[in-house]
Amino acid sequence: MDKDIADFSLDYAMSKKVDYAEARAHRGEHQELVMKNGMLDAYISLVDDGFCIRILADGGIGFASTNKWTKEEAKTIVDTAYKFAKMAKRKDKISFAEEKSIKTDWKVQEKKKLEDVSPETRIETLIELEKTLISQGINVAARMFTFGTTLTEKYFVNTEGSVISSYVPRIGAFAFITVVENGKPEQAYKQFGYAGGWEALEKWKLTEQMTHEAKVLQRVIKEAKAVKSGKMDLVCGPEVTGIAAHESCGHPMEADRILGREMSQAGRSFIYPKGLFWLGTRIGSSAVTIIDDPTVKNSFGYYEYDDEGIKARPRYLYKKGAINEFLHNRETAAKLSTCSNGASRAINYDREAIVRMANTFVQPGDFGEEEILEDVKQGVYMRSFTEWNIDDKRFNQRYVGREAYWIERGELKHAIARPVIETTTKIFWSAVDAVSKKVEYDAATCGKGDPMQGAPVYTGGPIIRLRKVYVK
Amino acid sequence: MSGTLAKTEQVVKKGKALGADEVIARTTFGRYRQTRFSNNQIDISVAWNDYVTDVVLSWKKRVVATQIHNFQDVDEGVKRLFNLAKVSKENPQYGGVAQGKFRYQKSKADKALEDLKNPAEYVFEAIEAAKKEAGAATNTGGILFSRFEEVYQASSEGPIGEDLRSAVELSIRAFSQKEASGHGVECSSTIKGFDPARAGKKAGEIARLAKNPKAGVEGRYDVIFDPLFAGSLLGVWGPMTSAFNVMIQMSIFVKKIGQKVGSDIVTLRDTPAGYSMANRVFDDEGVPVKENVLIEKGVLKTYLHNTSTAKIFKTETTGNAGIVMPTPWNLELDAGDMSREEMFSEVKRGLYLTNTWYTRFQNFATGDFSTIPRDGIFLIENGEIKQSSKDIRLSDNALKMLSNIVGISKERQHVHWWGEADPPSLSPYILIKDVQITRPK
Repeated sequence: MDKDIADFSLDYAMSKKVDYAEARAHRGEHQELVMKNGMLDAYISLVDDGFCIRILADGGIGFASTNKWTKEEAKTIVDTAYKFAKMAKRKDKISFAEEKSIKTDWKVQEKKKLEDVSPETRIETLIELEKTLISQGINVAARMFTFGTTLTEKYFVNTEGSVISSYVPRIGAFAFITVVENGKPEQAYKQFGYAGGWEALEKWKLTEQMTHEAKVLQRVIKEAKAVKSGKMDLVCGPEVTGIAAHESCGHPMEADRILGREMSQAGRSFIYPKGLFWLGTRIGSSAVTIIDDPTVKNSFGYYEYDDEGIKARPRYLYKKGAINEFLHNRETAAKLSTCSNGASRAINYDREAIVRMANTFVQPGDFGEEEILEDVKQGVYMRSFTEWNIDDKRFNQRYVGREAYWIERGELKHAIARPVIETTTKIFWSAVDAVSKKVEYDAATCGKGDPMQGAPVYTGGPIIRLRKVYVK
Repeated sequence: MSGTLAKTEQVVKKGKALGADEVIARTTFGRYRQTRFSNNQIDISVAWNDYVTDVVLSWKKRVVATQIHNFQDVDEGVKRLFNLAKVSKENPQYGGVAQGKFRYQKSKADKALEDLKNPAEYVFEAIEAAKKEAGAATNTGGILFSRFEEVYQASSEGPIGEDLRSAVELSIRAFSQKEASGHGVECSSTIKGFDPARAGKKAGEIARLAKNPKAGVEGRYDVIFDPLFAGSLLGVWGPMTSAFNVMIQMSIFVKKIGQKVGSDIVTLRDTPAGYSMANRVFDDEGVPVKENVLIEKGVLKTYLHNTSTAKIFKTETTGNAGIVMPTPWNLELDAGDMSREEMFSEVKRGLYLTNTWYTRFQNFATGDFSTIPRDGIFLIENGEIKQSSKDIRLSDNALKMLSNIVGISKERQHVHWWGEADPPSLSPYILIKDVQITRPK
């Protein structure tokens, strides 16, 4: 990364009639391993670095990027971005919410530096996972693992005087397994993610978690019964709580969707100006508070300043059951006459920063896990999910259980095969009457943007209990 | 030989000189342009210039890969890569890369897409066409995207060549009401014949018909899938023929070569033909690409292979490398014998679904999945559209649906949309019987 070239780009942009400009440089050092059925298919090691310029002029935005670090190329992309901004000819001029300029340098600490971890140790991590999985006496017929680290340096400067440097090391893994018993396959996948160093491996307990998943699949095949459809209590484990928080709270609360900017791709939101739902409208029970917080230490979605240079902070999206605060960047904040809350993220130098979640989770309550279960006469405990999806206004959603059990008078009984809840955002969150004390997180890659920008996030929450919802 | 190809070949020679068994290098100069719009106005226009040489090297069946962004870094980059191979782990199943010299077809890429002039005009043309169909108050959003790539490929095993690849697409979603929308796409490898208004008109037509939707009803329906939705279904079935996905059981086609997997009228091909957004003349090993028949009259004929997966399955590469994962380029479902009108007249009580998103599997091996129809969802009675519907989900099985295809239209469209109708395809209208529809409770 050549910071001088980024500075030069900004200076050159300022020589034009711009209302605002920023230059953002990224350097990503990646190592990625792909292992399929015990064979190391490839070990990929690369550095990707480049820079972009974003210009606001005449109420239009132009953006251009390159990975060629020369002043000549910098001038070319600035000229292109400026031309593109002027080309928009918008009736409604875009403006950015006013924000303080920032000069800072921040980084995520690693207890054990990723750059010091040898390729052999990385490979051994996957071999150990493979060996453990195939020695359980379970027919894990197919295994696919990816495992990687990314060391990201960023440098951000804008025409308002902000100068921000950052360094975030991230480590991630993905495992997809198929268990076959009696000729019947069941499948599970799990993603792991952490911002920090190699100490992540101690926290993940990769082999224990995937061994557990293999045992769950075997149990589903051999023992699980179908649930008799009907209204019943549903207890959701942290993984299910987390995906529901992400899909039916985080996404619909993105202000760019609310204002229609994603209408053709990720879609709009059930929340929109002059609609049935807006700030203050009830969407869930008073037990439900959902937070998006980039500052959760060592989280996959961790950052201290967003990609527009705005300081990160927790955002209380749904608060005690009411719609409370949207996720904003500077553009959406200006349109809704408020300030940015630091939700602008770009996955690389060649992508514009757009409104994104970071780590979205249900705030813990005061119930113990046993308390939540003991008050259920008949119902389902859905600890984890397999298939899931939600409509593009983020209202009609479905979660299919992977590990699930029948609850009878407060006790877990037999395993349930693929129970389904297919319901609306309002019904789901309004049915919550109990929330446990302990939050757990799962790593995920959130998809949004065109071209697609897969952003590292956590989803999470405590155990929650929904009363009398339809399960099939 | 061009200077860039010579430099790319130097990367290969450097790797061989260090002791690598095989080296492949591919240099791509990519120019990508996109204009995004919503609420009938341009939100942002974007340009990416990308300069990269992808390098794959093997040594004693250890496969490693990297990228080089500046030819001045070749010595250090290749040396580092070779050292990584030495400490990596052998893959006993690795079967090498393609050997030999090949002749390639001449690329038909369109140089006009190197730097598309006045992209805003294409966008406004599409918006106006949508408004003309659905009314002046119609709200639209979408993208115009163009791609032009110069590709230089060299391999220590013989293949060497140059390619130009170009693509342009316009995607537009039109809203006539908050919950009444239509989506249209226009996709091509060249600007000649590219007609943004066609996409806008289709989006507007569907949006107009979709007004005042009522909640859909659960049940089993005969369903007509628009080419855009059919493109998403091909995007499910096609990649499941990749040998990689078969080996990890992310496929309904495991151990089904030679078996009936679809109805008699289903013939599915993969071809990066000249018209396609995925046009190319060689794959990532330098093997000339070709048309492959994946399913013929309902029978699974082949998986998609690179050289290494082909050896595992005791067959030949299909020209679909990916070094790690073979991948389809552009899927084609053979045209049927029905007109669109004849297809509608076949349906006594069914649905016409125009688009979908968020397709997710609970089990890839069995094929159980669901997806959420969006944009126009129409109830058909006695061959006529009777009602616009909303809030439904298609919850069924991918293998069963392939077997339940009872009608394919003569008319086909080249479609691609975001990550949903991907890879690009040549898709007809499809009639599938007995499709399960669910809705939230």
